[in-house]
Amino acid sequence: MRLVNTTPVLDEKKCIGCVICSSVCPTLAWSVNRETKLAVLDEPLCFGCVNCEARCPTYAIKMVPRKNEKLLYVDPLQVDYAQVEDLCRRARFHPEQIICFCTSSRAEEAAAAILTGSLTPEDISARTGIRSGCTIECSQPLLRLLETAGIPFRPALDGKGWQIYGKVPTLWEIPHSVKQKYANRGFHFEEDQALMEEVIASPAQPPGSRTLNVTAPKAEEAMALAGRTAG
Amino acid sequence: MKDKPIPPRTPLASMYGIDPALLKKRGADLPGICSLRVTDVFPDQPEVIYPGEKGIAAIREETERMMARVDLSKIRPGDSVNVLCSHHGFTLLGGEPYAEMLRTIRDVVAKRTGCSRISLRVGQGLRYREGEDYIRRFKLDASFTTAVAIAPIDKGIPIETEIGTLYGIKKAYDADWIIHTHNSDVREIHFHRMVDRAVKPFAMSYARLETRSGYHQNLGPRAANFMARAIFDSDFVQRKYVFSAFLMVAPSGIVTVDCDNDMYLLNDRVVIAGMKYYGKIVTLLGSIDACIAVLDSPAPVPYVFAGGLIYGNFLGARHDLFDLEKPLPSYTFYTEAYYGHGERHLTKHVPGINPAVKMTLHNYAFIGYPSEFFAAKVPTIMVGREQADLFRHDPQSTGYMRHAVIADDLEAALEYAKRISGTDKVLIFDGAIGGINMSESLADHFLEMAPDVSRRVDEVLLPLWLRQRGMDPAVLAAWSTRRYPLAAA
Repeated sequence: MRLVNTTPVLDEKKCIGCVICSSVCPTLAWSVNRETKLAVLDEPLCFGCVNCEARCPTYAIKMVPRKNEKLLYVDPLQVDYAQVEDLCRRARFHPEQIICFCTSSRAEEAAAAILTGSLTPEDISARTGIRSGCTIECSQPLLRLLETAGIPFRPALDGKGWQIYGKVPTLWEIPHSVKQKYANRGFHFEEDQALMEEVIASPAQPPGSRTLNVTAPKAEEAMALAGRTAG
Repeated sequence: MKDKPIPPRTPLASMYGIDPALLKKRGADLPGICSLRVTDVFPDQPEVIYPGEKGIAAIREETERMMARVDLSKIRPGDSVNVLCSHHGFTLLGGEPYAEMLRTIRDVVAKRTGCSRISLRVGQGLRYREGEDYIRRFKLDASFTTAVAIAPIDKGIPIETEIGTLYGIKKAYDADWIIHTHNSDVREIHFHRMVDRAVKPFAMSYARLETRSGYHQNLGPRAANFMARAIFDSDFVQRKYVFSAFLMVAPSGIVTVDCDNDMYLLNDRVVIAGMKYYGKIVTLLGSIDACIAVLDSPAPVPYVFAGGLIYGNFLGARHDLFDLEKPLPSYTFYTEAYYGHGERHLTKHVPGINPAVKMTLHNYAFIGYPSEFFAAKVPTIMVGREQADLFRHDPQSTGYMRHAVIADDLEAALEYAKRISGTDKVLIFDGAIGGINMSESLADHFLEMAPDVSRRVDEVLLPLWLRQRGMDPAVLAAWSTRRYPLAAA
């Protein structure tokens, strides 16, 4: 769940049309107009991360508070939770496991997004807010969940962007010979695998029953339903 | 031994923090605060070259002396070289020692090889403008052909390793040769667990987001740092690698600048130094029964310093962070991941936060790090509405203020915290150099506990920690004096 409360503002006088903003945007909200050579924001796709602001070489983009905050959330209970649970566990996550540390989003939410139609990490992000903070630490869980769902990964913008290049190895894919070779240096491969498998196998407790309108949520309503008080 | 407070780290004008003018009072200015010098608590702390009589010149002199040990013959006059560094080094003792080490490396390489195309690449954590701040502040662009801050979201390059394809940042490797420069303080013990600590930047500062995410999500809490070794050992990196240089740090200052062509020999010294120089302080922090923590330094929440250790270490200090038999520290991304709905632990191995941390007063810290976990787990009082607003709009910490309450000033926050928590012990994470600012009651506790902690670390824990990392405790014989093993005669 992510309450989006900032939005980027472009100073067109400073924009040089370098396409870095569109290359680093996790939801493909930025593009560059071929004629004007200026960056253009597709505002509904923007989820308030600061990648464009942080990497713009001319400091042309500045994040400002949004007038109307918006809430991004996909309720795992809108699909059969058994399917959510199955997808998460096959991707080697516990459904309740937090996969995005900036938004405290759990694997179950990303799984629900996939089960309700998301085919790319960018779309999952735009719907859930996952990857809207640091934008990096949660990238692999999205690819693992998509792959497990049988959805092939293709880099965004036909590979011209820098959004995500691909999946990297998991503990289960490291050759046994490699694990043995380095075990005495303290890496604890087998023990960590056992720990993670214990987590994956532990019983799930689905989120409390909620009736969020996920297509047009109101921030206050969603926060209240989630049992939280707006800060 | 108790002394007046040590000046805290100076606030910085930065997009990641409040305007320094808004910082009305520092923790060190609170009534009843004193300081303890680390060398008074643990007299066997190593000799330091900085701070010292020679000032910053000591860093240049030591870098030149230790670089005499390394072979630079690979580098030809027409070649290009990237000196790779990380943001962490600039947070130590004001940053100038690390900056001076970098400048000296550049000058020595140029002088010995005739090479003039020597650039700097500044790796970053999760604040992608931070590196530019350091380049400007220390005028590093004047010393290098180019000085560029690199981020994990920048254009990448695939690196084939023995475990498969990982990804680096293209600009880190856009030269014929690379020189790896870092710092040795233990810092994120919760992430690297002192397993290949010196190698970590290859999977972080110089790595793309795929690699960094894999580190924190795919490998496990003790195996994570293997990502770094896999990249460093790759043919791609080995073809470019020349040598490593580390600012060797202790809680009391800079010990030396260690340089080596053999990364793994240097890595062993970094691991030993980290556990020997910091093991006692972190164990001492773990002995505290109850206290109020004050965050008061220009760094993200878990990275504010006291006695050379970060707040993130303190949150896990009740459980031995170096002990690899304990799978999960109190804080690391894997631990955070394993809190289910309603704070339910998804495994019995989640140890919980150090119960001694009764409350935290957030007087001054930076945004730009996933921080909701900390306010969710420790009752937190945010000082000042401007800072609360800054955190509320930080996309990495939008949930922080859902848990924290706000006080208008630090003194009122402390009074409230004392009343609610029932303790008058206060520990201030303000980056003070050479010692720790704290309440007198906590200082008394430290002085009482230190001899036993010292004995336990020397006789039991340090040998255990070394054995767990494949090292023979006999290596400690070379570390038996206060002088660094490779110190000048």
